[in-house]
Amino acid sequence: MDYAVHILTMIAITGIAAVSLNLLIGETGLVSVAQAAFAGIGAYGMTLLMLHAGIPFLAAALFSALIAGAIALIIGAIFLSLREVYYVFGTVGLNMIVWAILLNWDSLTRGPLGIPGITRPEVLGISFADNTAFLILCAVVLLAVFAAHYAIMKSNFGRVLHAVREDEEAIAVLGYKTEVYKIVIFVISAALVAFSGSLYATYLSYINPSAFTVNDSIFILAIVILGGLGSAYGAIVGTCMLVGAFEALRFIGFPASIAGDMRQVFYGLILILFMLYLPRGLFGKFRI
Amino acid sequence: MDAVPQIVLNIVIAGGIYSLAALGFNVLYSTTRFFDLGYGAYALVGGYAVLCLYKWVGINLELSLLLGVLIAGLTGFLTEKIVYRALRARRASNTVLLIASLGVFTLGQAALAIFFSSQFQSLSRDIASQRLFSIESGVITATQLLILTAAFAVMGILVVVWRYTKFGRAVRAIADDEEVAQTVGIDSERVIGAVYFIGAAVGGIAGIAVGFDMGLQPLGMTILLEAVIAAVVGGIGNMYGSVLGGFLLALVENIGAWQFGGEWKFAFAFAVLILFLLYRPQGILPK
Amino acid sequence: MTALVTRKLEKRFLGVHAVDHVDIACKDGSITALVGPNGSGKTTLINTITGILPMDGGEIRVGERTLTRVRPTDAAGLGIARTFQNTRLIGQMSVLDNILLALTERSVWRALFERQGQSHLDAAEAVLRRVGLSEKRHANAEELSYGQRKLLEIARALSMRSRIYFFDEPFAGLFPEMRKVVAEILRELRAGGAAVVLVEHDMDLIRDLADFCYVLDSGKVIAEGTPEQVLKEPHVIEAYLGK
Repeated sequence: MDYAVHILTMIAITGIAAVSLNLLIGETGLVSVAQAAFAGIGAYGMTLLMLHAGIPFLAAALFSALIAGAIALIIGAIFLSLREVYYVFGTVGLNMIVWAILLNWDSLTRGPLGIPGITRPEVLGISFADNTAFLILCAVVLLAVFAAHYAIMKSNFGRVLHAVREDEEAIAVLGYKTEVYKIVIFVISAALVAFSGSLYATYLSYINPSAFTVNDSIFILAIVILGGLGSAYGAIVGTCMLVGAFEALRFIGFPASIAGDMRQVFYGLILILFMLYLPRGLFGKFRI
Repeated sequence: MDAVPQIVLNIVIAGGIYSLAALGFNVLYSTTRFFDLGYGAYALVGGYAVLCLYKWVGINLELSLLLGVLIAGLTGFLTEKIVYRALRARRASNTVLLIASLGVFTLGQAALAIFFSSQFQSLSRDIASQRLFSIESGVITATQLLILTAAFAVMGILVVVWRYTKFGRAVRAIADDEEVAQTVGIDSERVIGAVYFIGAAVGGIAGIAVGFDMGLQPLGMTILLEAVIAAVVGGIGNMYGSVLGGFLLALVENIGAWQFGGEWKFAFAFAVLILFLLYRPQGILPK
Repeated sequence: MTALVTRKLEKRFLGVHAVDHVDIACKDGSITALVGPNGSGKTTLINTITGILPMDGGEIRVGERTLTRVRPTDAAGLGIARTFQNTRLIGQMSVLDNILLALTERSVWRALFERQGQSHLDAAEAVLRRVGLSEKRHANAEELSYGQRKLLEIARALSMRSRIYFFDEPFAGLFPEMRKVVAEILRELRAGGAAVVLVEHDMDLIRDLADFCYVLDSGKVIAEGTPEQVLKEPHVIEAYLGK
């Protein structure tokens, strides 16, 4: 039972990250390999605000999501004019740099030692110290993110994103400042995934830089590719499948020393095989 | 306090390695116009193949090196044949190719980590017995001199082959326009296959050089990034450019590392890439 | 009134002049035709004016404004709507949504918190009915036939409610009854006071529709005037039939 609660919590937290990435790659066609970086900014930002400034969880998490959004605003504006391949490459580099900062800025992040002792949150007077209660919190946030995704895609904004995905220039001629749309969705996505990073930190009560590497971004990308582009529902199904598969690997007693690498092999295979045979993904709306 | 000669030597050695890495990437990217992230994995394969043959199996050094390069080339060749060719045949979009290549990279890197562990491993058998050359107050090893020679040799060979042979002309025709090249009777599939072999093999040489100079770790992103940055800075499609970019990158990285610490060296390299992409995307020496 | 003027407009590709010091003027309430053999620079001219291609020289005057640089996003602000020779619709999006793109707010902030209103839907419905596509409103644009795509793109341009319209071969590939609809739309725009620019090969259509005509060859304007005058000139006929 405890184990099921743990898996469901991980699914909810990862699901938020996957839905936020779908906004970029699925709906707008921006392939980003930096979701883990923004999750890390969220997690460390929240943790430091909570532990050092004594700010309560919710305020700290929202504030660090804002910080992530502000960083995404700057990065998004710089990367704007990059061609697709370099945009992707730029996000990879960004993730490596954020990771290097988390690892090397010892005085702030304690480097590879990580930060322990992150307490479970209390929101509006309700304590979420209990695992089941925390799962409910995560599920509520996931639902809220899901609803936000739905609202964005049903708005006029969402229609423009879909158009940008296919032919940015044709819709620029209609008078849309497409670059601003791209920056705004990058910021929204970064803020959402940063919030999931905060949940992750407070759930495990400990963070270190190794949870926010390029490989973790690739993991989230694999989820979205598996679930299908342009489908928030697919992103969540993809999360269930991959988080589930990962836990199953552990369950059948896979040696821990190579479990991490086996996961990467598996994600790599997903990316290759889906591109070869099912680029639309399981529930995808779009051809890519 | 005279660290300068050693820093200069470090720049020169790193520049040689980056040049090699950039040359291979340049060969692939300028011909196929497809940004293959898997390149980072082919380079690692070269290094680990030598590790396996030379240190584990115990084959002599020359043969190990030769086989290592061939195996790296073959890895690229087969990846192209199995994955990319199928995608190209169905006119897959660039995004699809890019994501597939990210898959190749992830898969290759993780598979190497499983077989060879994530530990740092050096290819040199006995570092202490290496011949050393002193220049001022700096030191350079025989291996490092060899790496440097290899970088310029590879550059020279590529320039000659690309410019003066029938194969080179076919490659350049494909780089200009694959469909036109096909209409004049160039078998573009075969040429691209060969190019993939050559590009990945050169990447393998870079991987081997890294293994001898600094040691191997199954982290292909570093060498991939260095290859891309050097190739872009120098100018995609220009062999001299790759070497120039390689040395320039080494210069920026080492000066950055010297002033701010080695852990930030990558951030400097990356900043150089972004600056070039924004302000001079064609590189210093355009095609 | 003149809606749009180009002065010595230039576009070069690898040193070749695709648009070579072109001066044209498009008047309100009239249809201006651009004619010329394939490769004469008609489409390149439109692409340069609308910012799809950056201009290499000269200037464009729209109303009081003089521009030496136009980006794609600027075109709509200048009151220019256009179609493309090969339609550029959003293929994996419904016909209705393709029209709504031209109708709803451009501001990012408002777009984020608004959905299309009933007035947008009514306007979209009206324009779709005008081109006979209202039954297809929920089909994806890529599922339409070639002619239907052309019509949808014309409908999208109409929805912009602009002052200046560029139609790049709007009749190509259309059935006769559809051609009639398009011709009627062009006349209506003219009657409503818009400046309409038309690229077309069919000389009968040009005589029928156009008020003024520019003939392009190798990127240069080689003749201009009413269709009757211009299409009789020997060097125009020569340019068309080859030398």
